[in-house]
Amino acid sequence: MSNLLSLSDYLPEMILLGVILIAIVMDLVPATKRFTKGFILVGLILVAAFLYQGDTSASSLFMGMSAHDPFGTFFKWLFIIATFFVVLIAKYDDGMDQSIAAEFNILLLIVMFGLFLMATATNLVMVYLAIETVSISSYILAGMLRNDIKSNEASLKYVIFGAFASGLMLYGFSWLYGLSGSTDLTIIRDVLMTQEGPVFVVYISILMVLVGIGYKLSMVPFHYWTPDVYEGAPTPLTAYLSVAPKAAGLALMIRFFTMTFTDGAGETVANVDWTVLIAVLSAITMTVGNLLALRQENVKRLFAFSSIAHAGYMLMVIPVISTDSSAAIMFYLVPYLFMNLGAFFVAIAVSNHTGSYDLAGWKGLGKRTPLLAALMVIFLVSLTGLPPTAGFIGKVYLFSVLIKHQQFYWLAVVAVINSVIALFYYFRIVREMYFTDSDDTEPLRPHPILTWSIISCVIPVLVLGLYWSPVIDWVTASLKMF
Amino acid sequence: MSEVFFILIAAITIASAIWVVFSSNLIYSAVALLFTLFGVAGLYVFLYADFIAATQVVVYVGGILVLIIFGVMLTNKIADNRISHSSRPRFMAGVISFFIFVLVMTVIFTTTWHTGEEQIATATVNTIGEMILTTYLLPFEVASLVLLAALMGSALLSRKKHG
Repeated sequence: MSNLLSLSDYLPEMILLGVILIAIVMDLVPATKRFTKGFILVGLILVAAFLYQGDTSASSLFMGMSAHDPFGTFFKWLFIIATFFVVLIAKYDDGMDQSIAAEFNILLLIVMFGLFLMATATNLVMVYLAIETVSISSYILAGMLRNDIKSNEASLKYVIFGAFASGLMLYGFSWLYGLSGSTDLTIIRDVLMTQEGPVFVVYISILMVLVGIGYKLSMVPFHYWTPDVYEGAPTPLTAYLSVAPKAAGLALMIRFFTMTFTDGAGETVANVDWTVLIAVLSAITMTVGNLLALRQENVKRLFAFSSIAHAGYMLMVIPVISTDSSAAIMFYLVPYLFMNLGAFFVAIAVSNHTGSYDLAGWKGLGKRTPLLAALMVIFLVSLTGLPPTAGFIGKVYLFSVLIKHQQFYWLAVVAVINSVIALFYYFRIVREMYFTDSDDTEPLRPHPILTWSIISCVIPVLVLGLYWSPVIDWVTASLKMF
Repeated sequence: MSEVFFILIAAITIASAIWVVFSSNLIYSAVALLFTLFGVAGLYVFLYADFIAATQVVVYVGGILVLIIFGVMLTNKIADNRISHSSRPRFMAGVISFFIFVLVMTVIFTTTWHTGEEQIATATVNTIGEMILTTYLLPFEVASLVLLAALMGSALLSRKKHG
């Protein structure tokens, strides 16, 4: 579609851009400065309203640069929910520097814009630019606490790893361009399909593309930055990073691999069997994530490794080339969003009281603040994947893809073993909360907005564990890709 | 004739790039980088990419390199600014790098790359300008957002703590 006609399908993005620009100006004018956060929240609701209004057809926008389809819209909803919660909560984290709260929120919106682009990009130029929009803004956000040496370290490590990963990915893109003479994902696929036999050059290109996307997903072996960045970054950002860019990375991976590296009939392109490669990487990712999580004493690091493991679970179904696997990942992302955000918000509430993220600070929480502790238990049960929570249903869908298509049974076995390992470290937190006593018996008093945000995260986790068919219907309706 | 020029420029690029990596003095590295960047600009000229070549000189040589040198100069202890090459398992790193080099080279030379139809070389600036405002309009506009983020970020990270 031509540029001018595309604009009518691009209303949510344009409103988001408007919100970003107006918020920057509002923050500069002393009279309106204190309304910035409220304005951003209203703006996000406006973006959501226009996203809801948009039509559900699939079309190509801006001369093939971007797509407008139900698949992208599904992910945009996840990004809006995550951003809304994080903007809402950021003020109530005592670790945040409140003098730069507005800049934090505005940069978060720019990240969100990049995530929108990542979920809809259909051209190599757009893929790269979308990843960079997300990355560059995240580097800044991670280093925002300038007087905190951990935050400086996080930002620097993030930049170096990120630059390296994008460099390799760009080199891979240049090979794909060299083979096809085009940057359009579908044209590249058409050219790759004419190649005879297993072509080594395609294999290496896929490998280098995987570096770029795997870095965003914190897939092993590109995960080294994850624990340090998660630990050093401001915690609201950590919560965001563990959810939104990961979802966007998966969206990009699903779109990229189904559009370019499969032939549309369930076979890999040019006889290059990348499915085994991803299956092995997924097994390693979940195992490494879970094993390293066992010995962590810092809650943020623990959840960093837990998020690596969850990336492994979700990657597990990508080797099965079918719409079932995208549906399973999309379904899993919904509870994953709420349980991860919720767990981080509880961690913020605890650290506001103790001043650190050490696991020792959680001692006796069950007696001191029964509500928070109970909510945390629900999140942890869901993260482990036990009934009656939504995490369990999500895992069932992931496993059922492997069983239904009768491929990679060994991967399912690895995942089950990993879920058992995960039980150990998630329940270490439960043990600290309920079975150890602390000298500090003072109850925690989190801000009401923080408490209510945690409660509104717990509702979907519980409800979707019992009644999940609306989400499945939504996911099935959102599988259509341009 | 042009082949001789090409080999000359390629040699300068590679030789200075090696110097950048192996020199243990940051200033020498930065100066060597100057030649590398100029060499790359020359290679662009051979690809008839005149606009990219000019941009390369303006942005990298004129902007980024100067910034790097400023950064080095303004850092403390400029006199004994030695970079340590203390990547310890040097042998293993060498073997792996060599292996990757051979692999990439083999693949590059055994692949049949896409070749477009032959074109008469003309100035590219017009075409680029047109493409940026038609086919590549969205990336062009998004790039401005990335710049905005970078601008905000640098202002944020470098300003004195107020309050």
